[in-house]
Amino acid sequence: MTVILSDLLLAALNEIKDSKTLTGLDDIRVRYLGKKGKLTSQLKLLGSMDPKEKPIFGQEINDAKKKVENELQLKKTELIQLTLAKNIETSSIDVTLPGRTYSTGSIHPITATLMEIEDIFISAGFLIKDGPEIENEYYNFSALNIPENHPARAMHDTFYVTSDLLLRTHTSPIQIRSMEKEGVPIKVIAPGKVYRRDSDLTHIPMFHQVEGLVIDKNINFSHLKGILREFINCFFNKELELRFRPSYFPFTEPSAEVDILSEDGKWLEILGCGMVHPQVLENLDLDSEVYIGYAFGMGVERLAMLKYDIKDIRLFYENDLNFLSQFN
Amino acid sequence: MQIPTEWIKEFCGLDTTSDQMANQLTMAGVECAFLGTSNQEILDLSLTPNRADCFSVLGICRELSVLNNLSIKTDNYDNLVVHHQDKIKIEIESSDDCPVFITRVINNIDVNAKTPDWMIKRLENSGIKSNNIIVDITNYVMLETGQPLHAYDLSKVDTKIKVRRGHSNETIILLDETVKKVNKDYLLITDNSKVLGIAGIMGGQHSGISLDTKSIVLESAYFNPATIMGRSRMLNLHTESALRFERGVDPLIQKHAIDRATQLINECSDGKNGPISMQQDVTATPVKQPIMLRKERIHQILGLTIANYKVLEILTKLDMQVVEKDYGYSGWLVTPPSFRFDINEECDLIEELARIYGYENIDEKNKSSETTLFTTTKRSSKNSLINNIMVGRGYSEVINYSFVSPSMSLMMGSDSKTIDIQNPLSIEMSVMRTSLLPGLLQNLMYNLQRQHENIRLFESGKIFTASNKNSEKEVIAGISYGSRVEEQWGIESNPIDFYDAKGDLDLLFASLKIKNHISYINDSHPMLCQGKSTKIVLDGSTIGHLGELNPELTMDLDLTQNPICFEIYKDKLKLPNQMYYQEHPYFPSSRRDISLLMSENQEISTILQTIKQLETPILNNIIIFDVYKGKNIESGRKSVALGLIFQAKSRTLTDEEIDGYMSKIKGQILSNFEIKIR
Repeated sequence: MTVILSDLLLAALNEIKDSKTLTGLDDIRVRYLGKKGKLTSQLKLLGSMDPKEKPIFGQEINDAKKKVENELQLKKTELIQLTLAKNIETSSIDVTLPGRTYSTGSIHPITATLMEIEDIFISAGFLIKDGPEIENEYYNFSALNIPENHPARAMHDTFYVTSDLLLRTHTSPIQIRSMEKEGVPIKVIAPGKVYRRDSDLTHIPMFHQVEGLVIDKNINFSHLKGILREFINCFFNKELELRFRPSYFPFTEPSAEVDILSEDGKWLEILGCGMVHPQVLENLDLDSEVYIGYAFGMGVERLAMLKYDIKDIRLFYENDLNFLSQFN
Repeated sequence: MQIPTEWIKEFCGLDTTSDQMANQLTMAGVECAFLGTSNQEILDLSLTPNRADCFSVLGICRELSVLNNLSIKTDNYDNLVVHHQDKIKIEIESSDDCPVFITRVINNIDVNAKTPDWMIKRLENSGIKSNNIIVDITNYVMLETGQPLHAYDLSKVDTKIKVRRGHSNETIILLDETVKKVNKDYLLITDNSKVLGIAGIMGGQHSGISLDTKSIVLESAYFNPATIMGRSRMLNLHTESALRFERGVDPLIQKHAIDRATQLINECSDGKNGPISMQQDVTATPVKQPIMLRKERIHQILGLTIANYKVLEILTKLDMQVVEKDYGYSGWLVTPPSFRFDINEECDLIEELARIYGYENIDEKNKSSETTLFTTTKRSSKNSLINNIMVGRGYSEVINYSFVSPSMSLMMGSDSKTIDIQNPLSIEMSVMRTSLLPGLLQNLMYNLQRQHENIRLFESGKIFTASNKNSEKEVIAGISYGSRVEEQWGIESNPIDFYDAKGDLDLLFASLKIKNHISYINDSHPMLCQGKSTKIVLDGSTIGHLGELNPELTMDLDLTQNPICFEIYKDKLKLPNQMYYQEHPYFPSSRRDISLLMSENQEISTILQTIKQLETPILNNIIIFDVYKGKNIESGRKSVALGLIFQAKSRTLTDEEIDGYMSKIKGQILSNFEIKIR
């Protein structure tokens, strides 16, 4: 190896060793290995050399270049790692700061409860029907076997709009309307707002009901009991102790109330039901000897109160965000 | 109704506890709770309107005797001594109204006699305050037998008692000192010259028992329930008597009741009774008709076979007369007792069987009718979709009453046609709402007062307008107020404005796949701010409004910022049709930006429309990435920067091609508007 070559090699390796930056490293590469680089230039000397020494010197130059290239690569890797380590050190973040939030709203517990009740009955093959909230006497009372002056009307304190028009006191009129429109067999639930002229600690003048109606041949009281037990277990997501006890509604006979046993050992009334009164079927031009119906109705507020452990029914209509936002 | 249990036990020798008694009655359909106090045990009954027969100690005893196989002690007063022959003449105008009317004159009354303690205690435990001896006895007998009685001061009654319908504009001062105007809808007890009382509801003050009363006329009548029904509600006069008469009093018990009262009056206040005078029209008195009860029908309704002997046993215990048809093979002919006004049809008998047999003994089956599969739960899907988007955008759902105060209703303008409630609970709830916005505004104020700052609320519900037939419309409305995001370190928060709410709606429309069919047209609305509100148009028909709240309302409510409101007709929003996948482009897109200088009143939509009219096949999207007014822009003008995205489905676009389209677009803009392109 010539002195010049070995000096060049030594100088290059020293420069690489002392290099601090990636750009400095690149400068070294250009200076020694570039087209006009110091090591590359040594190849020009080959032309004037003894042919015997030529291959040896050529080999030496190439070895020197390779050596420099290797050292450059090693240094580069070292420098990159150093830079990354430095970056991590200087630019780490506080992972405990809260994330950026765009707040979401909430569904009203009554709507949520309604949707849940609807879903359960949809899965049992029921259709959902809506109807007008301003009803007439016929659909709200007469068609349901509640003639004028009937004591049962006292159970339905009514808001009147005109002498014939009123705010529906239950969602049963929807069932009559669906029957008229779609005939039998029918399997519907009718959810919605209802109105009673009543206001105190436990009563509010507007609330929500879901009423169900099934009319078909070959159905009876035992089917009604069966579906309601399933519904209740499904809704409360546990097997509850419940009882059916005789009651009275003008549009069903036999009629029943369903109570569930609360944790403190009290029976709580949660829905009313019964076999559709033959007169109601006849009002709908159905042969009550052939068609049998069962019907049920429940107050959504009451179910929501039991489900979410809400003690005061008026909370639903204060619309306080502290209350509402709990249901998101 | 409340009854002390010791009174019940006097008539039927029942050894169960009061608690068991209450439970047994409840499970038989006579809902009651046991109220225990230190010195008395009381049943608190919530009777359903059909069970008039249980409105007495006797009735409850009958029910308990059926449930426990007991017999009831019945007193007989046939050997009551008649002390004199005084009578009062009775005239009944219509025996349809009053089929049975019995009176008796009792003289020598000591009206100051003290009511025996045992009677006072029973009355008070039944929730009735003790009065004078005569009134106490009539009340006592009513509680015991279910027959309301009335006593008139004989000296206040002239020659006869006449039962007739009222004349128009007749008035009467009642025992409770209220003055009631009556008419032909009411049945009255009168004498020759005046009204003595409203039949079955309340007696008059004039003829009532006073401290000077010496002789009385006792009345025990059966009035047709249809004649009494609803009257007490019309008069707003709910009496124990009316409650019983309108639901039906046993038409065979009047004599028993008047005898029982006579016996007590003689015993407790030295009365000397005359004979009864009785007016009865047998043809008008209800007679229970036999009802055919078919064995098969029992099974059809209940899904249960009850053995013949059991059917017979239950019906007989219920005081029904039963005749077997074909030895019970096809069924029975059943005649209910006179006091069961609720049993008139076969289904009523089936209910009786079921409730005595026990609802708990009826199986529970699962299979109802054949189940059909539905693809149409669209109603729920639509509601969920809308709700989810609103909630995702930060809106909390509220539910308000459908009725509002007149002043809230007036927010929608004085010319909106409202539907008013004739008998509202209060003026605050007297008008059916014509918009959900007043309610939402009230919710906003309520929550602001409770230190919430950033509020977004929405409601789905109906609005009501008079006039056309279809007066109810399902709408969805929202209100937003405060900052765009909650205060936090990482985002600068600005006040919510029109475009925040518009973005929320655009998202809703996009998910319903109708965004391209929606246009916004500057419009006015009574609750919104002129110039900062728009109507929302879907394929040419208005489906709602959006805008800042009318600044007058903002000032009235003392708000520091204008809330943004919207209201949309929900019926007009439909779930999208079946969607189909569109092949998406794989080739690179190119973007060209242009900046337009235009009058600040120029609506951007007009420019976008004009560009779209060119129908450039490769123009994929236009982004508005800056709107600027102010420094370096002359006043009255604004600068709008557009980014146009070009992309073809099947190839990479060349610069020349795009430049060609760009110059066409620029030309189109320049020829249509007074706009500078920069």
